[in-house]
Amino acid sequence: MSTIPRVLRLSGSEAYNHTPDKNFLMIGERTNVAGSPKFAKLVREGKLDDALEIARQQVESGANVIDICFDDGLIDGKAMMARFLQLVQSEPEISKVPLMVDSSKWEIIEEGLKYLQGKGIVNSISLKEGEEKFIEQAKHIRRFGAATVVMAFDENGQAATYEEKIRICERAYRVLVDKVGFPPEDIIFDPNILTVATGIEEHNNYALDFINACRWIKTHLPHAKISGGVSNISFSFRGNNVVREAMHSAFLYHATRAGMDMGIVNAGMLEVYDEIPKDMLEHVEDVLLNRRPDATERMLEFAERFKGQDGKKLEEDLSWREESVEKRLEHALLKGIDKFIDEDTEEARLKYGRPLKVIEGPLMDGMGVVGDLFGAGKMFLPQVVKSARVMKKSVAWLTPFMEAEKAEFLAGDIAELMEKDPALTRDEAIALAGRRRSAGRFLIATVKGDVHDIGKNIVGVVLACNGFEVTDMGVMVPCDKILAKAKEMGADVIGLSGLITPSLDEMIHVAKEMEKGGFKVPLLIGGATTSSTHTAVKIAQHYSGPVVHVLDASRSVPVTTSLLSADQRDSFVAENNERHRKAREAFTGGPKKETVGIVEARALARLTDWSAYTPAVPAFTGTRVLESQSLRELFEYIDWTPFFHAWELRGVWDREAGVLKTKNEEGAKEAAKLHAEALELLERVIAEKRFTARGIYGFFPANSDGDDIIVWNDDSRSTEKTRFHTLRQQLKKESGKPNEALSDYVAPQGAGKDFIGGFVVGIHGADEWAAELEKAHDPYNSIMAKALADRLAEAFAELMHHRARVEWGYERPNEFGKNELIKELYRGIRPAPGYPAQPDHTEKPILFDLLQASEATGVELTESCAMHPGAAVCGLYFSHPESHYFGISELQKDQVEDYAHRKGMSVEEAEKWLGPWLGY
Amino acid sequence: MPRPDPTAELQKALRQRILVLDGAMGTTIRTYGLSETDARGSRFADSKKDLLNNGDILSLTRPDVIGDIHKRFYEAGSDICETNTFSGTSIAQSEFFVDDPREHGGVKDPEFFQKIIDDTMLRDLAWEINYESAKLCREWADRVANETGIKRYVAGAIGPLTVSLSTSPDANDAGFRMVTFDQVKEDYTRQVRALIAGGSDILMVETIFDALNAKAALVAIQEVFEADGLKLPIIVSAAVGRGGETMISAQKVEAMWNAVAHVNPLAVGLNCSLGPDLMKPHLEELAKVSATNISCYPNAGLPNPLAPTGFDLEPPHMNAFMKEFALDGLLNLAGGCCGNTPEHIAAIAEGVKNIAPREVPVLEN
Repeated sequence: MSTIPRVLRLSGSEAYNHTPDKNFLMIGERTNVAGSPKFAKLVREGKLDDALEIARQQVESGANVIDICFDDGLIDGKAMMARFLQLVQSEPEISKVPLMVDSSKWEIIEEGLKYLQGKGIVNSISLKEGEEKFIEQAKHIRRFGAATVVMAFDENGQAATYEEKIRICERAYRVLVDKVGFPPEDIIFDPNILTVATGIEEHNNYALDFINACRWIKTHLPHAKISGGVSNISFSFRGNNVVREAMHSAFLYHATRAGMDMGIVNAGMLEVYDEIPKDMLEHVEDVLLNRRPDATERMLEFAERFKGQDGKKLEEDLSWREESVEKRLEHALLKGIDKFIDEDTEEARLKYGRPLKVIEGPLMDGMGVVGDLFGAGKMFLPQVVKSARVMKKSVAWLTPFMEAEKAEFLAGDIAELMEKDPALTRDEAIALAGRRRSAGRFLIATVKGDVHDIGKNIVGVVLACNGFEVTDMGVMVPCDKILAKAKEMGADVIGLSGLITPSLDEMIHVAKEMEKGGFKVPLLIGGATTSSTHTAVKIAQHYSGPVVHVLDASRSVPVTTSLLSADQRDSFVAENNERHRKAREAFTGGPKKETVGIVEARALARLTDWSAYTPAVPAFTGTRVLESQSLRELFEYIDWTPFFHAWELRGVWDREAGVLKTKNEEGAKEAAKLHAEALELLERVIAEKRFTARGIYGFFPANSDGDDIIVWNDDSRSTEKTRFHTLRQQLKKESGKPNEALSDYVAPQGAGKDFIGGFVVGIHGADEWAAELEKAHDPYNSIMAKALADRLAEAFAELMHHRARVEWGYERPNEFGKNELIKELYRGIRPAPGYPAQPDHTEKPILFDLLQASEATGVELTESCAMHPGAAVCGLYFSHPESHYFGISELQKDQVEDYAHRKGMSVEEAEKWLGPWLGY
Repeated sequence: MPRPDPTAELQKALRQRILVLDGAMGTTIRTYGLSETDARGSRFADSKKDLLNNGDILSLTRPDVIGDIHKRFYEAGSDICETNTFSGTSIAQSEFFVDDPREHGGVKDPEFFQKIIDDTMLRDLAWEINYESAKLCREWADRVANETGIKRYVAGAIGPLTVSLSTSPDANDAGFRMVTFDQVKEDYTRQVRALIAGGSDILMVETIFDALNAKAALVAIQEVFEADGLKLPIIVSAAVGRGGETMISAQKVEAMWNAVAHVNPLAVGLNCSLGPDLMKPHLEELAKVSATNISCYPNAGLPNPLAPTGFDLEPPHMNAFMKEFALDGLLNLAGGCCGNTPEHIAAIAEGVKNIAPREVPVLEN
């Protein structure tokens, strides 16, 4: 049978087991008001932050346990014990070690035990007030699971001599083990380390008495431990640290060899025994081991020469201070150190120019690292909160600078707002400007039906530490109250929390209500059962403002900061939307999707009330050719964002500012450079007539026929010219959501005179020029030439679509600005065969034949239905107001068979072309 | 009536086989598709706040459903079922019956919670929930035991509360706490007494995310034992994060064992928060250091709001995982937490059947 060794096992948030390989358990004494005058002073003055710093240093310098004691006439010991231990719990670097609750007053011990989540040590109890009391106290300690120090004290007082020490210890041991059932390994005897070299002869043997008592206890009281307050031994040499340290280490050397397991020491300030100078050691040991009658006198004389000298300096590892200011801030956040935060923040502020840049830059990056480590299970919540509290100090340093800046900007903002909107009163403008310049108001609540509070509280704390004005509405908060409060306070962000599954539906409900209520502010979603996929798939579509899933408290800061940052918001939202899109795709592409048969899918088609609908009538039918489109005119239709993506630069291009909005500053610089070079190359293209742009488009009378679209020879609509075939979504949808097919956007036969359009555009010359540049060892411009041609082809398609919509009669020529065009805010779509809404490339030849496109534009189709030149775009035009892009996936066999039949293809051939979209 | 201490017979059974715990109460309740009206019954028809997610109240308003769940778990092979009392405290119930002062700009602090602790309606309600839930579970334990000839046990479930003794919700004061240790201990003391009065065989301090909350519960239990002159076995089970830490107070598993070993628990273990795969390394660590039985009832994977059950893993998965754990010598008690239905438990019971239980190491003399 396997056994577990009987050793003293303690814990804070981490375990400490006093296994035989551990020589000596160091108990930090400097958080004891008696052990450190500095600590006592700080506590008396209420400077608990600094007092905590001492605790932290103790742990850093190797204390395995820290002794906490407030026995001081000027301190309310019970209240301070509670307060200090609560603060310690918020300091992960301290609370990882076991704590020793130290007081001579029992009520303070009782109080202290209520704040230890781990197994600590009580210091101390004794037989001073008799056996009954002793048993009662031991039982109480046992219920809390702590170990205990037992002083060698009884009804007659303190044990000074060897005989008294062992007698009392043995008695206490028998009571604890036999009567209370206290585990012997949890009993820690303190047989009293008493001061030597006092000049009183009876004191000369005190050190030896202790050492000998250790030896006896180890032999006779199995598993019991031995501790003591080491600095007592050298009390005669107060003010002479060199001598005291030598005495402590020499004493410990002998006592530990005799069995002393632990001691209350100034961790980090112990001289190494072997490094004590020989003459010093001789004098010290003469005293400790009582080796000669004049030992004390000789020691006093010898000690004179060290008076006033500093002892061993406490060494703090400050190597991290050598790093860059960004690294230092990161270190401070990761380790929860606020000691240097003011100076580092100031340095960063000077370096970055503006206070906000420090928050959005290095501080947020630091919190990002915290988030990564938390996500990986390498940091825990209390550490995240501690990081946020350090962040708070940094933000506090920056706040006055931001206030000053705000005052400066405010006047300008007010003027600008009033100019933009003359209807504003001055007071309204002031209020608006004030809002614009505030760090952000964050409303947070746990949704109706859910009582989970703690995680949400932590998010609230972390955000408040970051300077946001947080309003926490608590738990079980109904939607209407959340929204009313949001309006009342002018919330900039709303955060919803929930831990149980039903809360997810409530969150969807809130999102819908926010949409109805005309809200625009970001909505954050968090809590154990929430997920980014669920947010993307089930919540985001109900609200047109940003909807962001926040994985954990540590992520709430970067997310909120980005959302409220004028510089970062757009690119953050764009990236978030992109993530949602991908998540939706991955989800619909996932394994567990339900599908419906094609018959059912058709029954769930999009319904248009055709009797109430008048199709738009184009200005002409047939085709028009653009033989040589001006390239310069295409410039302003260029969507640069994908161009940068081709160069691995993420972000969103801001047309007006002419900058790439990205978190990566280097990336933005790189993009600006690239953009300038692209424009330069475009000028060269025009000057050297490198590219020609050719295109064709046209409109035709059309009607749908099931999932097909008939193109008529003329408006009599009696004979078919050709026929497009569309595919229908077969994924099971939420109720009310149609199973889309492109044919649903065209009025069916007999339901009205509808039309369809088609187009092909191509940019010629790019491949040839790229090859030429390649040959001339200019690969950079070679890639650039191709990338530009692609953009021009897209721009051409956009320009042509714009023109087509105007000619179709439902859009005024200048109805939309270029930004809106790029964001595709207009009515109508131009889906291309081979793309998600109709993934079958073999619809291209039908389009090309209809338009006679190859002859008109020089764009050819290869055998695999690819276009040549590569910089070409084709597609159909739909004018239906509800028309939008969608994706086909998970096609079922029944539809593929039906589709093949409609197209006159074999099923195998259809399956070949539709391979990636098949769901069987 | 308090039950006799079943420690000896449980220890004997645990030497012979892996005992099976039950699955989740909360997520299983949800499969019954109850409405708000069902949850309220006539007794709470006029309650101001929604009660549908107050699972414990169903022991009073829909004992048929709770009884059916116990019955199904016992029939699926659970040796031990937990009472429907996860939130059977004045503090947890107050969330459903008392206005949240924060809705109106107020705070929740020890003064607020003292009123909660002193509120007689909540006190009586909490008592009734615990007492009736224990009786309900007892009834089905005995019925299924009679039918099958295999003894069944009732574990009084003691949940983690909706407040934390270790964290501050105040950004300006890391030392602030909403509630005090004494308030929490008093609340738990009443819960423990009611669970015992209702016929619990075992007391189960579970889903521990704040080890100080758990300590208050453990102190309460010991005080009740001492004052009332009785003793029942205790099971201690923590909800840990990916790093193996109690989620809120960040205590590592070995540190937790060191802090609870003094109550001499029948078992110590992990539940909730993680699926079996992520839980395994932490369970291994706990199994290595603990001189008592190991219990394990993970979630059916991580929450997945898009999966039909809300969780990733289905009965065959849980069967495979728990079988693996058993073969690795990690288990003395096995069950499931959130997302585990009676079908999951049947699969788990099947998986650990006939596999030798973990050998419990003893503390050297």
